[in-house]
Amino acid sequence: MVTAEARQASPLRRVTHSATTTPGRLSLIAVGLLLLTVLTGIFAAVTLQTKQSTLDELTDHREPLTAAAQQIYRSLSDADATAASAFLSGGVEPAALRSRYEFDIAQAGAALGKASSDVAGDSLAEQQVNTLSQQLPVYTGLIETARANNRQGFPAGAAYLREASGLMRSKILPAAEQLYGIDYERLKAGQAEARSFPWTTLVLTVALLAALVMTQRYLTRKTNRLLNVGLFGSTLAIALALVWGSAALIIGATQVADGERNGSQQVDVLVQARINSLKCRADETLTLVARGDGPGYEKEWQELSVTFSGGDRGNLLRQARELASSPAIAGEVDQALANADTWIAAHKKIRELDDGGQYEEAVAMAIGAAPDSSAVAFGKLDKNLITALNAGREEFFTQTKHASAALTGLVPGVVVLAIIAAAGILLGIRERLREYR
Amino acid sequence: MRRATAALVAALAMLAVLSTGCSAAGKPVDLAVVQSAQRPEPVGVVVNPPTTTGATTQVPPCDPTASLRPGAMPGPGAMPEGSTMKKIQDRGRLIAGVDQNTFLFGFRNPTTNQLEGFDIDRVREIAAAIFGDPNKVQFKVITSAGRIPALQKGEVDIVVRTMTATCARWVDINFSAIYYVAGQRLLVDRGSEISGVDQLRGQRVCAAKGSTSLNKLRDSPAPPEVVAVDNWTDCLLMLQQGQVAGVSTDDTILAGMVAQDPNVKMVGPRFTEEPYGIGIPKANEDMVRFVNGVLEKSIASGSWTASYGRWLTQAGEQAAPPTVKYRD
Repeated sequence: MVTAEARQASPLRRVTHSATTTPGRLSLIAVGLLLLTVLTGIFAAVTLQTKQSTLDELTDHREPLTAAAQQIYRSLSDADATAASAFLSGGVEPAALRSRYEFDIAQAGAALGKASSDVAGDSLAEQQVNTLSQQLPVYTGLIETARANNRQGFPAGAAYLREASGLMRSKILPAAEQLYGIDYERLKAGQAEARSFPWTTLVLTVALLAALVMTQRYLTRKTNRLLNVGLFGSTLAIALALVWGSAALIIGATQVADGERNGSQQVDVLVQARINSLKCRADETLTLVARGDGPGYEKEWQELSVTFSGGDRGNLLRQARELASSPAIAGEVDQALANADTWIAAHKKIRELDDGGQYEEAVAMAIGAAPDSSAVAFGKLDKNLITALNAGREEFFTQTKHASAALTGLVPGVVVLAIIAAAGILLGIRERLREYR
Repeated sequence: MRRATAALVAALAMLAVLSTGCSAAGKPVDLAVVQSAQRPEPVGVVVNPPTTTGATTQVPPCDPTASLRPGAMPGPGAMPEGSTMKKIQDRGRLIAGVDQNTFLFGFRNPTTNQLEGFDIDRVREIAAAIFGDPNKVQFKVITSAGRIPALQKGEVDIVVRTMTATCARWVDINFSAIYYVAGQRLLVDRGSEISGVDQLRGQRVCAAKGSTSLNKLRDSPAPPEVVAVDNWTDCLLMLQQGQVAGVSTDDTILAGMVAQDPNVKMVGPRFTEEPYGIGIPKANEDMVRFVNGVLEKSIASGSWTASYGRWLTQAGEQAAPPTVKYRD
């Protein structure tokens, strides 16, 4: 109100003139301080609100979508390996494999629906979702055609299965893997944003604080009164906002960083290990389906199996073990390492049998239910990975929620403190101005 | 003051309504634009592959159907010392390069998970002659294009995979005596108007990579656009999916496709003669003579005819076994 009255009463010349008198100067200072307070208050409120929504977005949106993308990959890759296993088992496929395939496809479809809700504006992600939604129905169509031919005893079924698997491996899975990569990058960007400190707000607040202190010193000099209650109150309010805000933001940023290191980074390493193990499982079964005609599969197995077994740095499971933040995750990853070794041994045996002409035995070793079979070892490994993955996700969720909790009440608090500061400025300066009337 | 503001807001609102009403230019937005569906293709499809180098090199003239005369036949499990067969016997299994995708000749029976067919019967006869046990076989599935390299690298002992004996191939490998004579024909959709190989100019026609059928198509007076695939069944699949107008190869292979799909038919006469031989590495002449002995015995004992009756009666007219010829 003061600003409006001042403007109405005095055009520019009168403002410059009044700046030479003490009351005039005081009015100008009041206007300036109020403007700065309002500006800082609005700016801080908006910035903090944005931070709060970034944090909520991380747990409600970004991370679930990343999880959905990896779910798509996992389900589709498993569907492909399961279809190959079903084919290998001969005759009518076992009911367990059939329902596993059906469940995989259903899960992939549901996850794809969720993932596609988010891609607007990101043309690269949109492309991947496009490929996935266009090609998945084609894939399932081919698998059903293969099944129909198989049931009639026609080798055309095998040709359809090969075509389906080729489509899966050349178009669908790469798109799913890319989508996961894009979503994980977006999650990381969101975390970086949540961790970043709002320097502009800090500078504004410090500037406001300095202006308040200087105004009080000026008043003390002019009026020989030590304390101006209004201005002192304002200073306290702003200082409180500064300390509260900074503390909350620093705590929040630490929590986000914890969630990143112990949660999402850990999950990413596990996801990479899982993707590679799924690829290897598909390679293993497809080598047997191809029966000597698929040298590319075994080569890929050799290249990828070292990423989840063996002792060197490239072993993603060892990396996950080092990142593990809780004994529960560490234990799970240890089990995963052991099961991976069992699987590697089983695979070696399969190759020996197959290369030694014992094809039937090799198939039994690959898809059978014997405790040392590859199917069982892989199943256990996948279970370990998913348990560890979920634990990592929970870690991320808890830490990020803590970060969000650290900011609780900060936005309304800052607004209230800014209003208190503004009121203090008004009261303080008016009290002095009154003395000049 | 308030009134003026209200009037201003009203005026602006009117203006906004009017301007949106007038500017009807532009089009409704399509969110999902798909130009065309991407058709799935079998892995490894190549359209008009470059000619194989083998076709251009000088090939000495020969009678590809004449093989090496068999000698005295050793009994099962008693292969002569130092022979190729002895090595196989000591290994404990015969390694045979076969097909698992060609119905009636070499295919995996999806019901039993076993490889079966006319070619597979030949392999089992040879295994029985070496070991006295037709099951001592390791089957290695190879593509048409992989047959000669597999023999040259010694990865397999024999290749029984609808393989035509030609002079060009005799340069790299040996062939047994001819165990079947097929001929190239054309397979089209039941409703197709194409009735012969001379009507294929510009059409997409499927054949397996590295097969004689593919080269014959290329040399035809009305050369089609050749779509090359890894396995013959991939051709049936492409025909069923409407991606090719026809498939051209040996009538026996085509008969296997007709047996899987009553909506396709063979048209036109046989326009080539394809004598099938068993491929054996160039160095192993003793093995060639041994295999020929097995074939002669099989023809004489009637097991060839039984195998033919089981698999190929639907394929063609020829019921008598081919006469074996030798170059000595």
